[in-house]
Amino acid sequence: MTNTLIKLDNIKKIFFTDEVETHALSNISLTINKGEYVSISGPSGCGKSTLLSLLGLLDTSTSGQYILSTHDVSSISKKQRAHIRNKEIGFIFQSFNLISDLDVEENVELPLTYRHDLTKVQRKEMVKNALEKVNMAHRAKHFPSQLSGGQQQRVAVARAIAGDPSIILADEPTGNLDSENAQAVMALLASLHAEGATICMVTHDPRSAERADRNIDILDGQIVSDKSTSKNSVEAA
Amino acid sequence: MIIQDINYAFRLLSKKPAFTVLTTLVMAVGIGVSVYMFSFFNTILYKDLPFEDGASLVVINASVNGTHDNEKLSLHDFNEIKNNVNGLSEFSSYYNTDVIVSSKDGARRFPAIISEPNMFALTRVKPLLGRSYNQAESNAGAEKVVVIGYDIWQNQFAGNDNVIDKLMRLNGENYRVIGVMPEDYFFPNIAQLWLPNTENVAQISRKDANSVHGLAHIVDGNSIADIDGQLNLVMQRIKQQYPETNNGLSAYAVSIPGSGASDGQPVIYTMHIVAILILILASINVGNLLLSRAVERSKETAIRVALGAPRSRLISQMLWESIIICSLGGIIGLLVMAWGLEVTETIVATFFTDPPAFWWKFGLDSYTITLFFIIVFSTIIVTGLLPAWKNSGGDFNAVLRDGTRGALSKKSGRVNKMLVISEIFISMTVLIAAAVMVFASYTQSRADIGAETKNILNASVVLPNSKYPSEQEQVQFVKTLTSLIENSTGIGEVIIASALPGNFSYETSFAIDGFEYTEQSALSYPVMNYVAVMPGSLDKLGVELKQGRYFNSGDDGLDKKSVIVTESFAIKYFNETSAIGKRVRTVSSDNNIDWLTIVGVVETTLHGERETQNFPSVYRPFTQAPRNKLTIAMKMTASQALATKTLRKTMASIDAELPSFKIETYQQSVERITAPITFISNLTALFALAAVVLAASGIYGVMSNTINQRTHEIGIKRALGADEQLITKEFLLAGLKLLLWGGIPGLLAGGFMGFGMSQMFGTDHSVLIIIATLMTILVGSVVLLATYLPTQRALIVEPSQALHYQ
Ligand SMILES: Nc1ncnc2c1ncn2[C@@H]1O[C@H](COP(=O)(O)OP(=O)(O)OP(=O)(O)O)[C@@H](O)[C@H]1O
Ligand SMILES: [Mg+2]
Repeated sequence: MTNTLIKLDNIKKIFFTDEVETHALSNISLTINKGEYVSISGPSGCGKSTLLSLLGLLDTSTSGQYILSTHDVSSISKKQRAHIRNKEIGFIFQSFNLISDLDVEENVELPLTYRHDLTKVQRKEMVKNALEKVNMAHRAKHFPSQLSGGQQQRVAVARAIAGDPSIILADEPTGNLDSENAQAVMALLASLHAEGATICMVTHDPRSAERADRNIDILDGQIVSDKSTSKNSVEAA
Repeated sequence: MIIQDINYAFRLLSKKPAFTVLTTLVMAVGIGVSVYMFSFFNTILYKDLPFEDGASLVVINASVNGTHDNEKLSLHDFNEIKNNVNGLSEFSSYYNTDVIVSSKDGARRFPAIISEPNMFALTRVKPLLGRSYNQAESNAGAEKVVVIGYDIWQNQFAGNDNVIDKLMRLNGENYRVIGVMPEDYFFPNIAQLWLPNTENVAQISRKDANSVHGLAHIVDGNSIADIDGQLNLVMQRIKQQYPETNNGLSAYAVSIPGSGASDGQPVIYTMHIVAILILILASINVGNLLLSRAVERSKETAIRVALGAPRSRLISQMLWESIIICSLGGIIGLLVMAWGLEVTETIVATFFTDPPAFWWKFGLDSYTITLFFIIVFSTIIVTGLLPAWKNSGGDFNAVLRDGTRGALSKKSGRVNKMLVISEIFISMTVLIAAAVMVFASYTQSRADIGAETKNILNASVVLPNSKYPSEQEQVQFVKTLTSLIENSTGIGEVIIASALPGNFSYETSFAIDGFEYTEQSALSYPVMNYVAVMPGSLDKLGVELKQGRYFNSGDDGLDKKSVIVTESFAIKYFNETSAIGKRVRTVSSDNNIDWLTIVGVVETTLHGERETQNFPSVYRPFTQAPRNKLTIAMKMTASQALATKTLRKTMASIDAELPSFKIETYQQSVERITAPITFISNLTALFALAAVVLAASGIYGVMSNTINQRTHEIGIKRALGADEQLITKEFLLAGLKLLLWGGIPGLLAGGFMGFGMSQMFGTDHSVLIIIATLMTILVGSVVLLATYLPTQRALIVEPSQALHYQ
C-alpha cells in the first residue's frame, strides 16, 4: 500500500530505573495512512506520550519494528534519526517549547536552519508562509515572553509545519490553553488537515478527539480501541 | 529573627557537606593567598619603621640614568640638596662599611655605619647607655669614638654597665665606647656599630670625599613626588656646573624599607595583582556556587515571596550563608598563612650572610589583621550579594508561572557569561605573568657563571688600611696565605680573587683605546666588572681560555699592566678583529691614564644579579693591582670542617686580628644570589597554580551549570532535527566566543605584565610570545573541555527525556 505512512509492528517500550521495569508500551501494532487525523486518548500514565515519542523518533523502542514511509527506522543511527525528525516530522508540545532567546521568526526558522538544501531566501519565504497560515505574521519580531499562550502555541504550530513535514505530532496541544484559545488551535489543526496534512494528536479532551477522524484508546500500554469517528463515517458515507 | 536566619543558613550548609567544604576551602585559598602576599610585601617594603615619626623618614639616593638602584650621592651634592630642598627637614647622612672587631676570642667582622651625629636624633631613639657622638667628635683628628649595638655590648662586654669609656679595637685601632644603643636597634638596616663621619664638605674636595646616603624627614604636606621634583631641580643645577661627574645623575627619595624594591617594581606589582586576582577568582567561584544553589531554590523563594516573606529576610538568609563560608574559610586561610609567614622568615634568613633588615618580622601584625578583616568583609559582600541580587531582583510571578525558565534564566545566563569571561581573563593574566617569572628565574638559576663551583670552600677577608696600607704589603699577605694554605692537608689548589664569578664584583667605567667618548662624563663610558685575580686562579676555576694566554708569573709586578677580558667583552668591542694586544684603561676622577694591554680572552663569566644586563668583565693580576677585599677559594680534598679549621688556623698564624668571614661553599654563595628570585618565583608559581585550579574548576562549574540549565533547550532543538554534532558545535562556538571576550584582554594584560618583567629580567621577547601562545592554548583547552564534557553529558539522554527536564 503506497498510502501507508507509518507502520508499527509489535512495539515494546520498557523503562529501566533503579531496578524497576516500567512497561510503558507493550505489543503496539499500528498503521497510519497519509492524510489521516488520528487522536490518541487514555488515562494518565498509560503511555500516550511514550508512543508519540517513538513515532517522532525522540526515543527508541525496546523491541519491534517501525517503518516510516517505506524505510525501516527501528535501528538507524542518531544522526539519521535527527535528519528524519527535521524533514519528516513536525512537533507540537503541550508547553509550546519555544526558545525564549529567539524571536517568533527565528523560532519558526530554527528547524529550517538545520537543513543544508535551503537558501536563506527560501527559508524566509517558508517562515512567512507558515506564519501567515497561523495568522501570526504581524508578530514576527516578538519574543515568546511577549505573547499569550494561545499565540505561542500558534507559533509552535507554524514551526511544526514550516518545513512541510510528512506528519504532525501533537502532545496535548491544548493542555495549557483556555477553551477559547484551545478552540482556535484545534481549528488551525483542522484546517491543516483539510489541506492534506497527516496529524497524530494525544489529547485528554473528548471534544478535541472528536475533531479527529480516527480515535485510538490506550490503556496500560496497549491499544484497547481503534475506530473512526461517527462524524467522519457520516462524511465517508 | 536573625537567629532564625542563621539557623536556617546552617541547616542549608550542613545539608550539603561536600558543597560547604568545597566553598570553604576555595575561600580559604583565596583569602590566605592574598593576605599572605600583602603581608609579605608590607613587611619588607612598606612597613613604617618602628620609631616615632618613622613614617616620614626617607633616604635620599642618587639615580643613575633614571634607575633607582640605591646609589650613594657625593657628599657635596648632598650638601647642595640639604641647602636647597625645603620639603625635607632634619638632614643627616651615612654610609655602610664593615668593621673588624678584635678581642680575646679573635677577630670578627661587623656591619657598621659611618654617619653624621644627628642620625640618631632622626630616629628619635636615645642610647641605652652613654650618649651618641657630637659635632666635635666628627672633626678630622678628633679622638676615635664608637657607639655599639646591644648585641655587641652583650657578646663582647658581657652586658657590663661600665662599658662606657672602655677601649675597643676596631680595624686595628683603639676606639672609645661612648654609647650603647637599645636592643633591636640596627638603623638604618643591619648596623651593629656607629662611627662619626669625619669628612666635611668644607675641608675635603669633591673627588676625595666618600659618597653618602642622605636621610631626612618629609615636611608634612609634601608627597614623595614633590620631593623628587625638588631633588631633580637641585641635581639639574649641579649638573650644569659639573657635567664631568654629574651627567646622567639625579636623586630620589624613598622610604628605607621601600629602597629594598629598587628596580624590582614590576615583580612586586605583578605579585600584588596576582594576589588580588586570586581573591577575586575565589569570590567569583564561591559566589557562583551559592548562586547556582539559589537558582535551585528559586521556586521555593518565589513561593515564599508569594506567601508574603519580605525581601530583606530572603537577602539576609542568603547573606548568612556567605558570612559563614567566608569567615570559616578566612580563619582557615589565616591559620595556614600565619604558618606560611613563619616559614618565610626562616627561608628569607638564608638569603643573606648578615641578618636580614631589622624590620623584617613576618607574622600577624596589626596591618595583616586589619587587612584580613577588610578582605573577609569584601568577600562576604561579593559572594553574598551576587546570589541575593540575582534572586531577589527577578520577576517572581514569572518564576511561578513557568518554573525556572523565563526572565530569570536570561539574566542568570548573562551573569554566567560575565563570570566565565572574568575567570578566563584572570587566569590568562596570572598564567602569563607567572610563567614569564618562573622562566626567568629558572634560566637565571641555571645561568652558566663561567666557573666550576664544585667542592670549593670560600671565605672573605678584608685587609684594614691601617695595617696593610701599601700595595706591597697586600700582595705579600696574599702570597704568604696562598702558600701556607696550599701546603696544608685537606686543601688542594687555592684561588684568590677580589670576587669570584657568580658573586658581586667591583664595577667601574672603562675606556677602550680607539673608541671615541664624546660626553665629558664618567657615566658615558662602558661599565665593566673589574676583578683582581692571582695568576693561575682563572685556570684553577675552570674559566676556559679562548684566545691569548692566562696570567703567569711574568705578570707579577706593581708596574706591569696586563688584563684578560671575557669573550662577552671581545665580541662587544672587537667583533671583527682579535682583542689581543688592544688596550683599555679605567676611568677615574684622578685622571689616571695607565693603559692596560689585553693578553688573553676567557669565556664569559657572570657577576652579581643575573637579572640585569650583565657587564663584561676585565681581569687584572692581583699582583699588579691588589685590593683590600678578597675572596679565598679552596679546593677541598677532605671535609669542609677540616678546610675551615685549616683556614682559621693559618689566618691566625699570619695575623691574629684578621678575621675570615662568609665561610661557605662556592655553590652556596652562588645560589644565594638567585635564591630570592627563586623563592619569589616559586611563590608565584604556587599561587598561579592555585589560581589556575580555582579558575579551571570555576569555569567548569559555570559552564556545566549553564549547559545543564539548557538541557531542555537542547531537547527542543534535537526534536526539531538538530543532530549531536550540530549541538556540540553550537556550544563550542559559544565557548569560543567567551574565550575571545576574556582571552584577548587577558592576553593583553598578561602580556603587559610579562613584558615589564621580561624587560627587567632581560628575557627574550620571543619567550614571551611562546609563553603567551602556550597559555592561550592551555586556557583555551580548559574552556573548550569545560564546554565539551557537559555538552556530551547533556546529549547522552534521549531527546524525549531532555524535553521533560526542568
Ligand atoms: N524516562 C522515563 N523513565 C522511567 N519511566 C518513564 C519514563 N518516561 C515515562 N515513564 C513511565 O512510562 C509510563 C508512561 O508514561 P507516559 O509519559 O507515556 O504517560 P502518558 O500517557 O503520556 O501520561 P499523561 O497523560 O499523564 O501525560 C508511565 O508509567 C511513566 O511513569
Ligand atoms: Mg503525556
